[in-house]
Amino acid sequence: MEQPTLADWMRERDDPRIAHTKPEALDDITVLDLSDKSYAGCYCSSMLAEFGAEVLRIEPPGGDFLRTCTPYGMLYKGEGLPYLTEGRNKFHITLNLKEPEGREILKGLASQADVLIETYRPGTMDDWGLGYEQLKEINPRLIFASITAYGQFGPMSASRMPNYDSIAQARSSIQYATGEVMPEGKSYDEYPWAVPTKAGPWIAWAQAGTFMAMGILAALHWRGMTGEGQALDVATAEAYVSVDDYAAVWHQGSGVINERFGSLDTAGWLYCFAPTKDGAVFLGGLRLEMWQAFADMVGKWDEWGVASWKNLSPFMEEAMQLKWAPLVFAETRKYTNEELVNMSVEYAKKGRLAPITPVVAPVCSPEEAMKDGNLSERGIFTPVKDPVFGELVVAQAQHKMTETPIRTKWVCRPAGYDNEHIYLKYMGLGPHKLQKLKQAGIV
Amino acid sequence: MAEATWANYREKKHSKPLPLKGIKVLEVCTLLLGPSGPGFLARMGAEVIKCEIPPMGDTLRNMIPFGYFFREQSTSFIRPNPNKYWLGLDLHKPEAQKVFKELAAKADIIEENQRPGVMERWNVGYRQIKEINPGIIYLSKTGFGQWGQYASENRPSNDGASQAMSGYAWMSSFPGQKPLKSRLYICDSYGAVMAEVAVLAALHYRERTGKGQFIELSQGENITRVMSWVWPYQQITGKVAMPAGNRDASICPADTFRCADGTFVALAAPSPEEFKGLCLAMGRPELADDARFRDHLTRLQEENAVEILRIIAAWVRTKTPAEVEGLAEKHGFAASHLYTIKDVVADKHFRERGFMTEVDDPLVGQFLDYEFPVMMSKSPPRVRWSVRPVGFDNEYVMTHRLGKTEDEIKKLYECGALGKWANVLARRPPSTWDGKAGLIMARDKL
Repeated sequence: MEQPTLADWMRERDDPRIAHTKPEALDDITVLDLSDKSYAGCYCSSMLAEFGAEVLRIEPPGGDFLRTCTPYGMLYKGEGLPYLTEGRNKFHITLNLKEPEGREILKGLASQADVLIETYRPGTMDDWGLGYEQLKEINPRLIFASITAYGQFGPMSASRMPNYDSIAQARSSIQYATGEVMPEGKSYDEYPWAVPTKAGPWIAWAQAGTFMAMGILAALHWRGMTGEGQALDVATAEAYVSVDDYAAVWHQGSGVINERFGSLDTAGWLYCFAPTKDGAVFLGGLRLEMWQAFADMVGKWDEWGVASWKNLSPFMEEAMQLKWAPLVFAETRKYTNEELVNMSVEYAKKGRLAPITPVVAPVCSPEEAMKDGNLSERGIFTPVKDPVFGELVVAQAQHKMTETPIRTKWVCRPAGYDNEHIYLKYMGLGPHKLQKLKQAGIV
Repeated sequence: MAEATWANYREKKHSKPLPLKGIKVLEVCTLLLGPSGPGFLARMGAEVIKCEIPPMGDTLRNMIPFGYFFREQSTSFIRPNPNKYWLGLDLHKPEAQKVFKELAAKADIIEENQRPGVMERWNVGYRQIKEINPGIIYLSKTGFGQWGQYASENRPSNDGASQAMSGYAWMSSFPGQKPLKSRLYICDSYGAVMAEVAVLAALHYRERTGKGQFIELSQGENITRVMSWVWPYQQITGKVAMPAGNRDASICPADTFRCADGTFVALAAPSPEEFKGLCLAMGRPELADDARFRDHLTRLQEENAVEILRIIAAWVRTKTPAEVEGLAEKHGFAASHLYTIKDVVADKHFRERGFMTEVDDPLVGQFLDYEFPVMMSKSPPRVRWSVRPVGFDNEYVMTHRLGKTEDEIKKLYECGALGKWANVLARRPPSTWDGKAGLIMARDKL
């Protein structure tokens, strides 16, 4: 045995509980976030703010429309919930870019910034005199990051259509190919849920924002080598479909259009949700031995002729999946979720193919997920004590790092909360001047 | 103005510098959570050496839709693995571990997604590598993390397990129906994207201080982040968050509607101008001033949301998707018919942007792949070449990167430290291969 164990050694160095004692990776970087009606933009700047970048979140006076995008219209202390979850560590200021004076202030901020994030329709920033070509004259080192529905160039770029997550999900083909299969002979009226189904979370927006954060950091590295800033362009649907693994290549090779396959998996076996006595489990066995281990675990080694299986590929064929899925489900229905999970843990110790064992995981509600001891132990749901919003649970600490861990220092701020501090710090605007700007509708 | 920035972007991108040129990456990764991340770095110009255990290599080489191999390659293997160098290195062997350490001494980044402790058992864990290269940035991606209850039980994981356990599948289904697995390996794919943010932040920190570090990311933890409001909602209300099918619970109207021809169109029009535009398009301008719908927060309330979505559904039922899209464009709200993969591949906009990008690969041939979705005006990321058989670049890596002689390389093969592909589909070269195409050094010929 190593002294100490790897797990203990790691935990001693990357437990989120000690994150605040460590340095921050990006605390030399200043970011302007002009996101407008875009969770993608806010998400992107959150990623940077968590690493310590000084993010100035710039909203129109009155706040961003995104603050009103909240489930069932629910507000918490005056704010919408999604906005609350990605306001973290940002300084919130207001600025009216529709007024020339507001744009001059923005130029002043841009000349002191490393990164600018914006999500307006292509051409809007240009019309305001705040496009990349204009701002690079003031600050050639600026990284100018735009996230939109269709991107800065290409035939659809001039579209008037705004950028929403659900539209990007539709545009990506992922929604088309996700969902329950309509049972034969049934109709939409009988089975209205057996249709192309989008993901509930704002995953396309999150992908766009996270990819852009990666692009910004690569551009910072490149700036470090060359001294030059540049413009970056993310189109939300592209960001989402770009992680699709096989459908485009499959289509090019065979002409096949990837269709819905319920909770089975077109390109993987054993890889599905399976019904149980009290719910459902995910089953995973992407190596032949793991699929064999599953069959053995449910007592079918001889009956199914498992020892004679030589190759996993045939099991991925559609007809084989449709033949085998009911046989597998008949077995899983005999057990509860907990029993099946325990069987797989035990199989890893004592099974014929141990330590190989199938992946068995309960299908949970997010309520059960929030009670999952492992996630809590690892700091994901540790509430943040926020001076404005009190103790709030926002999922955090996804990156565990030994030197520069992320941390959530505060959750969010009301629109314009940091005007005094930020305008004084960056623009030398004291209370009197700020008051005048406020009266003029500039901040 | 934007025209000036982006003129001829697609045509010129191969004549511009790459943003991560010179960054050296070693991957010991399998399936999707692992290899996708180095795949992003490789698209941005990092030099990625992919180490696989010969002769079978990455398990992802098994994954093929309904048994379909694309030109004798694993169909799923292509997207995560462009621009890499392919090393068949059996890390169970001490001689291979020594080779790995020689490569690690010159690397900037190591990425692995073995189960916790495996790399250390192979003597190439973070604690061992940092002794020879303290500046190393070392990323471990797992199902459940390096420590905690599940790690101590050595539980295996897959993307689908994370979709299940996080509640992501629950939130992505219709109310009252069974939780639904996404057809994307979303916890893998999203986790891989998120992890590279940490890797590049760590690179920035290393450039400032010279210090490397260890980073861990878990499949299940990363996906909790995109679930956003679900957690404070449950904390505040004490109730379980419920799925909403194709409706967006936080944006109204935003839903998928059935058209006159039975196909579907997604539509969103929540902001005041957009909603007004939609009401005009429907020929119902009075709805924009209706007290139930005028204000977004009021419109989002269940009763009002159900009512406005019902009105829109009845209207869309009389339209084709193209009509709805046309009206959306005219009135400034958002709509799109549901793209199939055929639509994605054929889409003129994706093509002209070079997002669907032409690859001309010596082994796999010509096809369209997805370009890295961040276009960078001065340093465009791009796909240059595609996947290779196990161990395809052994000689290049040994000679070029480590300066090994032919005798030394021969010995590494003899002891089994180095190896090449098994004579198995998607491990070996395509049958059309002439024994030369794609090899970097002439003497690599078999």
